[in-house]
Amino acid sequence: MKREFQLASRRKFFSQTAGAMAILGAIALQRGQAAEKAATNPFAYDVSHLQKTDPKLITYEETARWKAPHAEAKRIAIGPEDTLYLCSGNYLTARNRSGDRGLEIALAEPSRCCAVEKDGTIYLGLRDHIEVFDAKGQRKATWDSPGKKSWITGMATTENEVYAADAGNRVILRYDKSGKLVRRIGEKDKERNIPGFIIPSPFFDVEVSRDGLLRVNNPGRHRMELYTADGDFEGSWGSASMGIKGFCGCCNPINLALLPDGRFVTCEKGLPRVKVYRTDGQFESVVAGVESFVANGKACGPSDCTAGGLDAAVDAQGRIYILDLVTGDVRVMKHRA
Amino acid sequence: MNEQPKSDRPTTRRTFLRNGARIAAMTGLGALAGVVANRSTAEGWVWQIDPQKCLRCGNCATKCVLEQSAVKCVHAFAMCGYCNLCTGYFEPEPNALTTAAENQLCPTGAIQRSFIEDPYYEYKIDEQLCIGCAKCVEGCSRFGNGSLFLQIRHDRCVHCNECAIARTCPGDAFRRVPASQPYLLKTTHAH
Ligand code: SF4
Ligand code: SF4
Ligand code: SF4
Repeated sequence: MKREFQLASRRKFFSQTAGAMAILGAIALQRGQAAEKAATNPFAYDVSHLQKTDPKLITYEETARWKAPHAEAKRIAIGPEDTLYLCSGNYLTARNRSGDRGLEIALAEPSRCCAVEKDGTIYLGLRDHIEVFDAKGQRKATWDSPGKKSWITGMATTENEVYAADAGNRVILRYDKSGKLVRRIGEKDKERNIPGFIIPSPFFDVEVSRDGLLRVNNPGRHRMELYTADGDFEGSWGSASMGIKGFCGCCNPINLALLPDGRFVTCEKGLPRVKVYRTDGQFESVVAGVESFVANGKACGPSDCTAGGLDAAVDAQGRIYILDLVTGDVRVMKHRA
Repeated sequence: MNEQPKSDRPTTRRTFLRNGARIAAMTGLGALAGVVANRSTAEGWVWQIDPQKCLRCGNCATKCVLEQSAVKCVHAFAMCGYCNLCTGYFEPEPNALTTAAENQLCPTGAIQRSFIEDPYYEYKIDEQLCIGCAKCVEGCSRFGNGSLFLQIRHDRCVHCNECAIARTCPGDAFRRVPASQPYLLKTTHAH
């Protein structure tokens, strides 16, 4: 039975168990021995070893860094000619490889995520709907909202489809290029063996690999899932752990990107880190570890678990761009020779 | 950044959360307020911990004048994510997400984990075993929703004139509160 706050009866306090007595004995000893050592905490929750990454695991190095053009940076995406598109504040801003600013679209509300076609067509996710812009930033269409609770946080495109990760409704929406909703993917369905997405905080992402399968993070289950375009669940990988090979905290990974050969780049919050996994889900290496994102690690806490977080995008050369949602820094990471 | 999706939990989970809130309002808190009203100081004030100020230093387990501290871990179920990987329950790097002792963070095994529905688990504190060490509180606060926190249990506290833990509390988290409202409870997270 659930209760909002669990407080036991008085009688229970006085019916002490042998286990508790043993611990109390240990405490009495601690009191005697260490009364003066008040600064040491015998019950410390020690994760200091997780705050530092084994250098042998880090296979990328930073080659450049610049700031997102506006506060409240949310997502990054790569477009044609490796142009980087940043969703920050009420803007979508394009930047070339060296960080020079190009196209900028001002919006009436915060931009949340985007996907860009080879011809420069931009599909932009706003909170509850998608807008389409041409390469020059002219608005071409505003698609109907998929629903009141929609919270679009990730997008991807293929030749014929646009996919949107709707964190509010815990579903991947598949559209055709005209904005017609073709299919809802990943909703819990026992008969089709679909487990359903668990999205405790608004971080939900989708990418399409060259094999045509969708890669979707399922943060509440600490794993990555694979779906066909028709919504068949093809499998998953990932494990829950604070350790470097797993996904930490209540909900991770929060965002993903794909390397040109299909390997995964994953982003985590809480212990902010960016890692590479092989196509079969085996941990491979670290792009940037917790020590690279000090402010970010402090931002994510119980008062606001939506704070903090990282995003990543990959260009045609395999360079990884990491967006720090707290500092607004964009780091360009190159694989070490 | 502060806006969040208003995603629905599964119906069964919503239902039990709703039931939980109602039951808590009717039983636990009301009953305990009654207990403290009868046992409080002449002035009608008692000590309590402000959970927002607590630094989880461990003193609550070791500095209370009672052999077993009057401070206990309390669980705000309405804030809890019912996570499979509960960072208040599990060691930072558990061998597996099972109830095996070596996977548990609590030094006394005072947290009970039980399956609710895929992938949700409920965590209850066994207050006979809880020593108020705050280890779980730290794990939950650092990487979870912060639904575990410490409170002085007034059916146990002997209402020292000067609380022995308050004297050493590095977070200055102790304060006097009216005996009629003896708990400083965390409220529902904005999820
Ligand atoms: S002594 Fe203060 S800071 Fe330390 S655990 Fe108790 S309330 Fe928290
Ligand atoms: S970890 Fe410490 S505070 Fe938490 S339940 Fe166990 S004994 Fe109580
Ligand atoms: S007032 Fe006394 S009994 Fe109560 S918590 Fe403080 S030291 Fe313990």
